[in-house]
Amino acid sequence: MSARPRPASTRLPARSDSPFRRLARPWLSPRVFDFWASRLHPTWSWERPLARIVERRAESADAVTLVLRPNRHWHGCRPGQHLNVSAEIDGCRVTRSYSPTGLPGRDRRVAITVKAVDGGKLSRHLCERAKVGDVLDLGPAFGDMQLDENAAAPRLFLAAGSGITPLIALTRALAARGMPAPLSLLYWARKREQLCFVDELRSYAAAHPRFQLRFLLTGEAADAADEGQGRIDAAQLATIADLADREVYACGPGGFVDEARALLAARTVSFQAEAFSPPPRTQEDLDGTVEITLAASARTVTVARGQSLLGALEAQGLKLASGCRMGICNTCACGKRSGSTRHLHTGDAQHEPVSALRLCVNSATSDLVLDL
Amino acid sequence: MTTTTRNRKLSPDELDSFGRELDEVRARAVAQLGQRDADYIRRIVAAVRWTGLGGRLALMIGAIGGAFVSGLLIPAWIVGVLLLALSKILENMELGHNVMHGQYDWMRDPHLDGKTYEWDIVATGDNWRKTHNYQHHTWTNVRGMDDDIGYGLLRLFPEQRWRPFYLFQPIVAVIFAVLFEWGVAIQDLRLGRWWYGKISNAQMRKNFRPVGRKMARQLIKDYLFFPLLAGPFFLPVLLGNIVANVLRNLWTYTVIFCGHFTADAETFAKESVKNESRGHWYLRQLRGSSNLTGGRLMDLMTGNLSHQIEHHFFPDIPAHRYAAMAVDVRAICARYGQHYNTGSLPRQFGQVVWRILRHALPSRPPVKRARLARSSA
Ligand code: FES
Repeated sequence: MSARPRPASTRLPARSDSPFRRLARPWLSPRVFDFWASRLHPTWSWERPLARIVERRAESADAVTLVLRPNRHWHGCRPGQHLNVSAEIDGCRVTRSYSPTGLPGRDRRVAITVKAVDGGKLSRHLCERAKVGDVLDLGPAFGDMQLDENAAAPRLFLAAGSGITPLIALTRALAARGMPAPLSLLYWARKREQLCFVDELRSYAAAHPRFQLRFLLTGEAADAADEGQGRIDAAQLATIADLADREVYACGPGGFVDEARALLAARTVSFQAEAFSPPPRTQEDLDGTVEITLAASARTVTVARGQSLLGALEAQGLKLASGCRMGICNTCACGKRSGSTRHLHTGDAQHEPVSALRLCVNSATSDLVLDL
Repeated sequence: MTTTTRNRKLSPDELDSFGRELDEVRARAVAQLGQRDADYIRRIVAAVRWTGLGGRLALMIGAIGGAFVSGLLIPAWIVGVLLLALSKILENMELGHNVMHGQYDWMRDPHLDGKTYEWDIVATGDNWRKTHNYQHHTWTNVRGMDDDIGYGLLRLFPEQRWRPFYLFQPIVAVIFAVLFEWGVAIQDLRLGRWWYGKISNAQMRKNFRPVGRKMARQLIKDYLFFPLLAGPFFLPVLLGNIVANVLRNLWTYTVIFCGHFTADAETFAKESVKNESRGHWYLRQLRGSSNLTGGRLMDLMTGNLSHQIEHHFFPDIPAHRYAAMAVDVRAICARYGQHYNTGSLPRQFGQVVWRILRHALPSRPPVKRARLARSSA
């Protein structure tokens, strides 16, 4: 359910500052304000988007839906987009992206559906320990998988596992508009008990003749009329009427999306996809190169693996702040949004996004996105 | 590196294993980072905020209430000053200093981010991150590279060239202690170089802008805004804020000078740090630093700079862990025959005062003694 963050091209516009805040900013430290404000209310903050869990319910055998109430610093999200959610686990803020399944209406609530991933730090925390009243950090919305508002084109949604999360948001948005165009949803899971939103989807299918629904099981036999069996293949897709006219949206693990693309991309009007980030590498080789995306300056550079990032980036002509160049002064630290690194002295691997990665003592072991 | 009789000379191999053992102490601490450290630093944040609030309230009550109820002013004022000074000391040492070292960066809490933290003294966090985190910690006690040796103002080691100006050093040192935060604020501006024309006026104006802004903000906050809240009774509040800031200055000055300028502390020549190995770097940190004994309260009030040696070894490990790490560090130092410089505050500070007085007068490095010691060893 965690997708790779995309550049923020589709971010919603930030709300402008109130005159009071502009006036007070030089004098009031957000640190001090937040300390006192959070004594009064858990999500009051000077500028940080925070949300409180107001409801939790089981969505399937291994997924929960958390309904969140964000504070006023969170600026919303469109169906199909993602947002970063962080919780503090053992003293450390852990961040993952989720696609909201329930979107803010008049009550300004947003829901995320989280599947417990094996070894997943945040997903396990949210599924097993997070409780009503806990406060989470929210990031701004990002992601390109959105409906073309005007087109009444027929669509095909392909979801595998937790890939359902952006697609349920899009399905709900279309259902709310009375299904203006034909929509087919094929939704794969290993077992029936892992399917989410089953009753809701069936009720849409019953209410809207233009909505075609099919659950596909890869790990057990189908028995209901709207169930099928097996991994994605051409035969399953052949059941879709006028396939060539459809806009396709696919979401799921990397392998699934690749398969869908191979089957469909050349045969349909459009093909949009989002794949979950690949699992962190365990076996990294020290040779070869990696791509480093410098998010703030919109550049990509190729550097050698296994070399200090500071040195490698400087060799690319970048002027970076640095001091000791031995990992003690923190001058070179910068945020890492994604990718894996290895500490040159300790050999420790780091796969999580971090706010301060010391470039002088870390090397890249995968492609990276840095806040530079 | 100069050799004194208190330290055994280490072979390159020994230096390597010395460094490796210290790296292991560090790795063990890193492996334990978690909720306990997060809870600790948040408790410190809460202590800073509540004592700050209590101090300001007490000053206000003393000033306004004291005008109507006789006998209230003095006790409330004293309580207010002490609480406010306590808050500022905790914020300066245990919170600001340690957070800006990046000790809590692993928490990824934007309010405890070493790169952006701004503390409650007139020096800007950005300048300090450069003079302290980088220059001082990388080049600890290396002459000509670590400005903290005498802050360009004092002569604390015989290796520094004597000038007649240093005859006034005892007075200069006292003034510097009272105004310590201002000294730290202008340290990175290098006024001396500007005075001798090595920095242009335009450059100086540019460098001064953020410093001046921070100074103005601190002055307005402590010496205008809070006093004026008391209306016509502003004077006791103003005085209280001045005294609290001066107390904090005196205390931080004392702690910091005890960390590097005791009798056995050494300075190093620039040449000695060329191609320095990790073990050698640790050794230099050890010989340039000194600890203070005094238990948990001393640790807290000094921001754990009572464990200056551990701090210099592991500047980015949460400082409240130094006391436990010190047990291992001491044992390692003992095994390698290295002097572990520690002592009570009066003893260490006495040595600092002696240095200030002694080296105000011409003095010469004890070259002969060192050479003798080596040849007789
Ligand atoms: S340059 Fe000092 S920590 Fe990287």
